[in-house]
This record gives sequence, structure tokens and C-alpha cells, in this order.
Amino acid sequence: MPTNYCLEVNGDFACFTRPEMKVERVSYDVITPSSARSIFEAIFWKPSIRWQITQIDVLKPIHWTSARRNELSNVVSSSSVTSAMKNNKGSLGIYIEEDRQQRAGLYLRDVSYRLYADLIFDQTKDVSAEYGKYTAMFERRALKGQCFNQPYLGCREFSCDFKLVLDNGNQKKPINETRSLGWMLYDLDYQNVSSPNPRFFNAEMKNGVILIPDWNSEEVRG
Amino acid sequence: MILQALKDYYDRKIRDPESEIAPKGFEHKEIPFVIVIDAQGQLVQIEDTRYKVGSQSRAKAFLVPQSVKRTAGIKANLLWDNAKYLLGLSVETNEQVVKCHQAFINRIIEFNINDDEAICAILNFLKNDPIEKIKLVENFSEIEETNPFMAIRLSGDLDLVCQKKMIIDKIIQAPSDKDLGICLITGDIAPIANLHPSIKGVKDAKSTGGNIISFNQKSFLSFAKEQGSNAPIGDSATFAYTTALNHLLRKDSNQKIQIGDATTVFWSQKKSAFENEFSSLFEESPNKDDPDRFTENVKSFLNGVDSGVLPESDKENSFYILGLSPNQARISIRFWHVGTIEECSLKIAQHFHDMEIIFSSNQKPYYSIWRYLIAIAAQGKSDNIPPNIAGNWMRCILAGLPYPEALFQAVLRRITAEQDVTQQRAAIIKAYLNRRARFQHQTQQKEITVSLDPSNHNIGYCLGRIFSVLEKIQEEANPGINATIRDKYYSAVSGTPAHVMPILMRLKNHHINKLASPGRKIYFEKLLGQIMENLHEFPKQLNLPDQGRFAIGYYHQRQAFFTKKENVTEGE
Repeated sequence: MPTNYCLEVNGDFACFTRPEMKVERVSYDVITPSSARSIFEAIFWKPSIRWQITQIDVLKPIHWTSARRNELSNVVSSSSVTSAMKNNKGSLGIYIEEDRQQRAGLYLRDVSYRLYADLIFDQTKDVSAEYGKYTAMFERRALKGQCFNQPYLGCREFSCDFKLVLDNGNQKKPINETRSLGWMLYDLDYQNVSSPNPRFFNAEMKNGVILIPDWNSEEVRG
Repeated sequence: MILQALKDYYDRKIRDPESEIAPKGFEHKEIPFVIVIDAQGQLVQIEDTRYKVGSQSRAKAFLVPQSVKRTAGIKANLLWDNAKYLLGLSVETNEQVVKCHQAFINRIIEFNINDDEAICAILNFLKNDPIEKIKLVENFSEIEETNPFMAIRLSGDLDLVCQKKMIIDKIIQAPSDKDLGICLITGDIAPIANLHPSIKGVKDAKSTGGNIISFNQKSFLSFAKEQGSNAPIGDSATFAYTTALNHLLRKDSNQKIQIGDATTVFWSQKKSAFENEFSSLFEESPNKDDPDRFTENVKSFLNGVDSGVLPESDKENSFYILGLSPNQARISIRFWHVGTIEECSLKIAQHFHDMEIIFSSNQKPYYSIWRYLIAIAAQGKSDNIPPNIAGNWMRCILAGLPYPEALFQAVLRRITAEQDVTQQRAAIIKAYLNRRARFQHQTQQKEITVSLDPSNHNIGYCLGRIFSVLEKIQEEANPGINATIRDKYYSAVSGTPAHVMPILMRLKNHHINKLASPGRKIYFEKLLGQIMENLHEFPKQLNLPDQGRFAIGYYHQRQAFFTKKENVTEGE
């Protein structure tokens, strides 16, 4: 029986990059399930648990901003890594001055979400443990504000703060907006490790609330 | 959502028999020369389709099979192409030209309708040294030099060969050999496009066009996926969104405007009048004969919005605005705005109301965004408009947000550099300060009015007024003076009043003594006294918002002198 947890996250900026516009970045209108999952994972993750996002509440109106920045256009090639390892020497450095790309981006600003996720425990991966051990660990960590790495909103540079919401009654209302958000990235399917495949779902926002289908459901396609 | 909205627009247009959007597999292309041949493949003539529009030469646009993407290597279009491909004609004859021509012929053969009469005639024509045949045509040397697009027509037909029904059917039914995948626009399983057609018509982009979706650098790839598989989009959806966008960006499009460095297109979900009206609110018509046209457009628009007479259908109809600007070979999204037509109208009306400021008789109440932008650019040149401001400003107008800080700072910089507060600059400052105050619910901050407001006791505003009075005294004391205290002291006094104001007050005493009429002396001293009533001391420094209010105070007071003057003459 999975337990549903709720985190409230706030940040000044966010960029949940659309795959089709990831070069000149354009964000999705709201946080994607995969990004929400990684926020939970940043706080607590073990091989025997899995986070399943169930619902996203959008708490602040969707505002945009744009910026340009310099980025690298190349990646370290795997063959030069192999040869460096073989010869025990070699340079893997890339100099930004020689390999620069200016990229524009359309980002979200001033965002706030309530993220709901089920903590799902896989007993086969940790036979001796009880489920309660993991829920207690998460609760303790989240209440203290502990995290493995700083949670962020889509891009590492857009870090966010988080708060475990225990009392669901007296909370801020989601925005009053209802519309279709189109096909949105759900998450990547890592079964084929050499080429993970993206999976999509049709996101609908109703009064600021987006219900996320289960990973295994028919609505998630890829 | 951008791509979905564009695809929807394509679907809407293709259902509309009056629209001229290209069906799947086709595009509109301007083709200056049409080769006319007979059924045996003999040249009849070469038709020149060009015509003049003003000083520009344009060619007739034909619906032709969609062009292939030629980045590198040789790829021929079907049944139309430039002279190099179609005829093997080029200024320099080399192997590559021969290969291009062969590729063109091969493309036709591969299309596999060799039994068709027209295709036979074309092949006959192309295989038997076509250059020799057209050498005698009068445009030959021009064709050789400019390498224009050309197509072929059979003598006696009205359509080009590539427009024949049989060929159209074959292109539409052509099976796709691409891998299947989920299309992230439609959500269907479809053949996934590898490369997307280029987008043309974005200002300052490469003439061959650019791409919204392309992955041309190593660091853009995810998990070492190649090209289209980084972002799976179905073939037909790819065609639909690029065709729709190219349609909006086409040369004669009335749904395209240039705002600073952002080429902006807009469309509504369902057909609407607003779609056609929108551009007239942001762009002055190129027609110089009618200078008041823009003002009239804005006035009638504001009348409509203020009295609430919007068409019922516009309340629900979504309106999309997309700002694009080039970045290398790519096209980046500058801003993207979705709202109903009603919302957009209200936001735009708010913008024009915020920009309202008193003006003299030779000026106009409303200006296009571009006019305001060149007012903050060095030497008033479009090239010097600070980058990024235009796009951000437009986004703020449409979303009803406070104007960008950078815009305000640019205005102040320009004012101190030129020591001149023009109508446009004053309007921007006024709108900026008012919108910011409204957004932050600053009730204690007095809203800046359209014209002189003697009850505004803000320190910056009062100092601005005083400065204007001092200048006026000087002007009246020395009629026809070339440089006034404004030219010398504006930036100093608006930045650090305490340093300069005492000097100016002393100067004033000299100037006022020169005035001939004792009445004027009294009038000015009284006016100064009134303004200074609420002023306890000259502050050492003014912060930026107060420097803005200083500019407004100065502008308002100066305008007031000119309007007052008329009243005085009437009274005398």
C-alpha cells in the first residue's frame, strides 16, 4: 500500500525543456512528471523504492521570461576517453572560448507547485526491510529539509526550496485556470539502456490541477 | 503548445477553400521562368513570370512539390528547380553541374510514371542537350548568371507539369519509409520526420531559412540520438506546422509584424477580424500619404474596447502571438502568448491608455512600438535599439505586466545623454512608473497623470517642474538663446539636485532681473514659490524612479507653458 506524499516547491525560475525546443530552449507551461519525480528523488531515493507522481497543483500564474547565455557546443568524445585511458595520458578538456554557442531560452519565472507522489516499495529488492522504514526515512529527511542534492526545477541552475505538506486542509488554492497543455514528456523509459525512449502523456489542467496517470497506464505512450 | 497551435491553424486553413495554404507535400514558390515545351519535347518558349511591385521585382508563385533540404550534397526537387539542376546550366561548367542535372533527371525517373505523356516529353527535352535549345532565348544570359528557379509546362496546358492531378495524387499517396514512433504534437503513432523543412521570412535569418527544431551540434543531442529522434514528430504534423508558420511569415502576410529584433506572427483559433486588425495597432502603415492612419486605427480600436462592443465570438476565441528571432542557423522563440481575443484587446487598450501623455499640436497621441523604441536608441536609428528590450516589452504588454526595467533605464540613459525629454520618452516613463505602482499595489505612490498635476508633491516631480520654470525664465530673459541651462545641467540636476540647484537658483536671479515685464517676474516667482512650498530641501541624490518623475515633471511643466500661453493671449 503506497503512501502519498505532498511537497510544496517554490523557485524564482524554472525551465522544463520541451524536447522539440531544447536547442533554443522553451519550457513547458508547468513542471513535468519526470522533473517532479527527480525532486522527490533528490530528497530520498534507494534502489528498492520508486516515486510515482500522481498530481500536480499549480499555485502561481504562469509567467515567462527570456534570456540568452553562452553554452558549449560539443561533448567529450568517448573515443578520446578510451584512448586516454589506454595510454594513461591525454587531454579531455574542452575550451569554451573555442566552442561556444549562444542559446536563447524562454523560461518560467516565479513558480510554485504542490507535487503529490506515491512512495512505492519493491520488497524483492530489499527482502529484510519493512515498508515503514522507508516512509519514516523520507518523512524525517523531508521535515528536516535534508536532501541528497539540491532539488531543482528542470535545470540545475534553477534550484528550488521545498516543504513537506502534512496538513492538506488549510493550503493555498491552485490557480483558476483550465486548459489543455498538449502532449507532455512523462519520463524516459530506461529499459533499453543504450537508447532510452521518451514517453508522453496528454496533460490537462483543470482549475490549476493536473492529474498524472500511472506509468503503466494506457494514457502514457511512447 | 506552439507547434500544436500552428498545426491547428494549418488544419483550419486547409479546410477553408479560399485560403491558399499548400496541401501536404507541396509548397508555394516564386518561379520567375517557366519553360514551355511541346509533346515531342521541343522548346516552344520561355515564359517570364516576373512583375513589378514598386521598385521590387517579384515572380508569380506556383504550387510545386515541396523542396528537398539541401545542406550538403546533391539533391534535386521534383519537376522544378534552379537552372543548374534543371538544365545543367551554370556560369562555370564543371562535373558538379553535370551531376546536378543528372540528379534532376533521376528524380523524375525514380518517380516512376514514365508512361505519362508529359513526363516523356520532359525527359526527351532534358536528355537531348537542353542548353543548346534555349541558347537563343533572349533571357539566356540572365538565366545563366542568376540561376533562377524554373519549372516546365506543356504547351497548351494551363498548369505546370508538376501541378497535374495525377502527379499530385501520387505525391500525396507516396508511402513513407521512415521509422514509426509517437508524435509529440498529435500523440499518434506516425512515421517520424528526420529533418524539418526550413522556416523562412524571419528578419535577419539566413536567406535559406532557419529551423525551430534542429539538432546540429553534439551538445544538443540526448542519449546520442540523431536528428529527429531527439524529439519525435510525425511527418504530417511536421509538414503542417512548418507550412503554417511559413504561410504566416510569407512576404505579403498581414499577420506578421516586426517588433524590434523579433519577427512576430499572430493568428486566432477560429477566424476573426482581430487577426487582420492586430498588425495595424503595432505597425505604422508603409503608406506615407496617410500619416494619421495609425492614430485613427488606435482611436477606433480604443473606442471599441472602452465601450465594450467586441464581437461575441471573440470572447472565447483564442489568440496566439509568437515572436521569433534568429540565432545562428536556428530560430529561437522570443515570446509566446496565448489568450482570448477579449483578453488581448483589453491588455492592448491598457497599454495605449498608459502611454497617453499631453502633447503639442504638431505631435500625435499614439505611436507604434517602433517609434517608441527609436526614441530610446542612439541617433534614433533602428539598428541602435538595445537588443532584447522590444521582445520583453511586447511580452509585458500582452500579459499586462509592468514594463521591463531595462526599458525604463534605457529611456533615462537616453535623456541624460541627449538632455532632452521628448513626448515618446515621457510617455514610456509615465507608463512604466504607473504600471509598476499598480502591479505592486503601491497606493501611497501617486499615479502620474496625463498632464500637469500641481497636487503631485513628489520630490522628483517638483524638482522637474522647478527646472522647467528656471529654463523658461532664462529663455524669456534671453530670447533666441541657443543653449539653455537644460543643455548644460539636465543630467546633473536630475541626478544630484543639491549640487546644482543652488547654482541654478542664483542664475535665475540674474535672469529674472532681465525680464522686461514686472508682471512676468511676479508670475514666475509666485509659481516657483507654489512648487517649492512642499519642498524642505534639495536632496543630494535622486533614485531612478524619482529621476523618471523628474523627467515627467519637467515635461509636464514645459507643455503647460505652451498651452497656457494661448489662454493668456486670449485673456489679454
